[in-house]
Amino acid sequence: MLLSEKQITQLKRRVRETPHPREMILDVLHAIQDANGWVSDEGVELAAIILGLSPLQVEEVATFYDKIYRRPVGRKVIHICDSICCWSRGSEALMQRLQQLLGIAAGETTIDGMFTLLPTCCLGACADAPALRIGKTLYGKVAIEQLEAILDGERTEVSS
Amino acid sequence: MPTLIIDNQTVTVPEGTNVLEAAKRLGIEIPHFCHHEALGSVGACRLCAVEFREGPVKGIQMSCMVPAKDGMVVDTGSAEVLAYRAQVIEWLMTNHPHDCPVCDEGGECQLQDMTVAGGHGIRRYTGPKRTYQNQNLGPFIAHEMNRCIQCYRCVRTYQDYCGGTDFGVLGSRQRLYFGRFSDGPLESPFAGNLIDVCPTGVLTDKTYRFKSRIWDLQEAPSICPHCSLGCAVTPGARYRQLQRRRARTNNRTNGHFICDRGRFGYGYANHPDRPRYPLLGHRRVTWQEALAALQNKLQELGELFGPGSIGLLTSSRATLETQFLTKRWAAALGSDQLCFEAHPGRDLGARVAASQRLDRTASLEDVRNCDLAVLIGADPLSEAPMLALALRQAARRGARIVVVDPRPVELPLAYERHAVSVEKLGQLLRGLSRPQQSEFPSSMEELGGSLASALLAAKSPLLIGGTDLLGPQGTEAMQQAAEACSQPETPCRTMFLLAGPNSFGGALLSAEGPCFSSLLEGMEQGRIKALLCFEADPLADYPDRKRSRAALARLDMLAVFDCAATATLQEADLFFPTTAVEESTGTLINNEGRMQAFEQVFSAGTPLAESAGGSHPPRFFSRDIPGSEPQSAWGILGALMGRSADLLTLRSEIEKNDHRFAGLSQLEARGEGRRIAAPRQYSLSHQPNISGIMGSDQLQLLVTETLYGSELLSNLSSCLHESTPSAFVMLHPQDAARFKLEEGKKVLLGTPVGDLTLTLRIAGDMVPGMAIVPRLRGTVLEPLVPGTEPLPCRIEKA
Ligand code: SF4
Ligand code: SF4
Ligand code: FES
Ligand code: FES
Repeated sequence: MLLSEKQITQLKRRVRETPHPREMILDVLHAIQDANGWVSDEGVELAAIILGLSPLQVEEVATFYDKIYRRPVGRKVIHICDSICCWSRGSEALMQRLQQLLGIAAGETTIDGMFTLLPTCCLGACADAPALRIGKTLYGKVAIEQLEAILDGERTEVSS
Repeated sequence: MPTLIIDNQTVTVPEGTNVLEAAKRLGIEIPHFCHHEALGSVGACRLCAVEFREGPVKGIQMSCMVPAKDGMVVDTGSAEVLAYRAQVIEWLMTNHPHDCPVCDEGGECQLQDMTVAGGHGIRRYTGPKRTYQNQNLGPFIAHEMNRCIQCYRCVRTYQDYCGGTDFGVLGSRQRLYFGRFSDGPLESPFAGNLIDVCPTGVLTDKTYRFKSRIWDLQEAPSICPHCSLGCAVTPGARYRQLQRRRARTNNRTNGHFICDRGRFGYGYANHPDRPRYPLLGHRRVTWQEALAALQNKLQELGELFGPGSIGLLTSSRATLETQFLTKRWAAALGSDQLCFEAHPGRDLGARVAASQRLDRTASLEDVRNCDLAVLIGADPLSEAPMLALALRQAARRGARIVVVDPRPVELPLAYERHAVSVEKLGQLLRGLSRPQQSEFPSSMEELGGSLASALLAAKSPLLIGGTDLLGPQGTEAMQQAAEACSQPETPCRTMFLLAGPNSFGGALLSAEGPCFSSLLEGMEQGRIKALLCFEADPLADYPDRKRSRAALARLDMLAVFDCAATATLQEADLFFPTTAVEESTGTLINNEGRMQAFEQVFSAGTPLAESAGGSHPPRFFSRDIPGSEPQSAWGILGALMGRSADLLTLRSEIEKNDHRFAGLSQLEARGEGRRIAAPRQYSLSHQPNISGIMGSDQLQLLVTETLYGSELLSNLSSCLHESTPSAFVMLHPQDAARFKLEEGKKVLLGTPVGDLTLTLRIAGDMVPGMAIVPRLRGTVLEPLVPGTEPLPCRIEKA
């Protein structure tokens, strides 16, 4: 079960109430992602049924946004911005350091299934560059020395 | 009307025209990818850059995105512009494979043209290229994503123009992917247009894959013969094989696109069972022998029984030239037993339809521009596919589309549906013809009243009907309704869907002549001894096959002239092979009375692929071209009448003889065709009335056309077989429950032609009390023909 019957009924009701069901695509995908960690092919198909759209119409949106995960990811996804402001403020070094600390390359997941490391194109936090996002927490003005502590904090937050 | 200067030439264009189109009017072709006349501009490819020297905008801009304005001075070829375009091309080419020789688009590729035009001859980029996995998109379209240049034409065509929902654009930025959610056949019946719009080799014709380069193809402007709309097409042939069809532009009819039945229905011309030489009995004979046998027999019969013993039949597949000469020959023989359609209902329906005032007759262009279309008894995707696409364009501009039909009519657009039984369609139309009195059947007062006022209020309203469901009476009622719902400034036009590509021509020529039932009567009574069928298949098309079979069996001579192995051919005493549309010239009159000439694409002959038995070049040689005996039906008729076979002379004669065909001799196949000069005269008074309504407990059987499998010629095209459904029957859920039947299970349908085992489909949006079956040739449903009164039937578990 990707979503409970109750969730499905609720989402369907919300879809009915919106004039344009397409507006609800992201909400439905997020619901599925929150419940499962990522959105599988079956997840896209379920979303299509809930929305009354074709799977392709859902997939167009799902694959456009990099915060919708169409492949399994770790418990927390690290999105590190590689766009212009962050790049000019040293994001390349951050990315390298993260890879070292986690022992994985960009796009990979740590062996313990904790973190997936992904570059992203602007988190909308350009004023606080360099920026990264772990799970739903945004970190701005990140210094290379802070990275270890940030990762530790994120790890313990999960275990606690 | 802004006036501007482009490359030192002045041009005045309508407000809203963009600079790219304005330049085109001067004959200046600005290189472009993403702009398309039918799809509009999106400014995505950056190739159409021009330099604005004077006027409201300055500098380099995309010509497709800038509306022409007074005072603009534009340079399309300045050094800076050329350098810009060269860069765009180079950048588009960074990911593109360097293998045009193995790409099927090669030779007709816009990217090749633009790369050469842009002067990008040497690749500087040496990095890795983006690569993709391709998808299997079904039988029609090959997919090679590595060749994509992200112009978005395919998505705009498929989703926006055609209303498809299963093909689109995935990903973002450098990861764009144009395809489906997963492998599988494209669902839209207009998917083939992707082949024409994709400017590179991503989306190409799978049925034509690796067969020819365009410069090796024989091509000529032609007309699609697979329904009554007469869309413009360009077929291509090579090695005596018809290899493909693509859309041709006619802004009055199909616009830029065609349907998949039209595009992939071409295979009939290459069919391995196509009869290619004259037959006497079942023996192959020469043309001379066959013609002599025919003449002798006709003379003998004429002398013994009089000229009335010879019946002549043509069909909606025959060209105007063939129909005309058949009529001439009948006159020369002295026989009045001549008929232009083997199906009496369709015959009379077309005669009524062809009597509509021309200023009240809608073209597909009018459909695209209407603001209200009410379809009563018309199923576009089955009976005239491109009509569905035209309606979609109207809907995209805000038109209201209403469907009133007993069948579960589907359309690729948002529309209103009213499931209404066949009898009530007629009553609704009669009510609409007296809108002020609102005399609608009790259950339909609301619908009828609202439609009447909407039709009266609309600016360009349309009534659309299929003659199969409306019948002659309903067709006439629709004309009266249109008349009654017309205002001086806002006429309500009609469009009728007819049986075939030249139903209209036959309807014009038939005058008050007999319909095929009376010819059958003549055969049954022994008055008619010979029947000559010119591209007509009475056995398959007359609704009562038992009767037609028995009547044909009584003939002394059945002579068939055709290009397909029809049911009637099996019974023929004499057979003469005729050419396929693409192998000859002629004229077809579409359902709005538009005469359209077509040119010869190639000469008839057994495809080399077949005659050489798979080895090429062929290993034996002869002077004769194998399988090249077919001749145009009008050519054969000319020979039989001992007259010259010159087409121009013939066309001049037709137009002199009948002023309605004025302009025929000047008709250009490349043009937009020409409306006939006047409709036919017709009064329906002497026709029988629609029969009574059956008991409510009984199921009525309705036979209807379907997209693939109904039309004779396209059904012979092997590339459509994968898409043709197997035999099924549709029931309303209420009836399925009443008879305790389940979706997808086998059921037994008791019909006048026997008990048939069919798969059940349940359709919630059809009218209850009815069993609907498609006309499907080559299946158990074959003997059931549309265009008749609903038949009684019963249904049970198999
Ligand atoms: S597949 Fe063809 S039409 Fe579609 S974006 Fe790519 S190049 Fe353009
Ligand atoms: S709509 Fe009719 S005429 Fe046009 S392409 Fe399709 S089958 Fe041919
Ligand atoms: S550039 Fe990094 S957050 Fe915007
Ligand atoms: S045609 Fe103008 S940007 Fe593509």
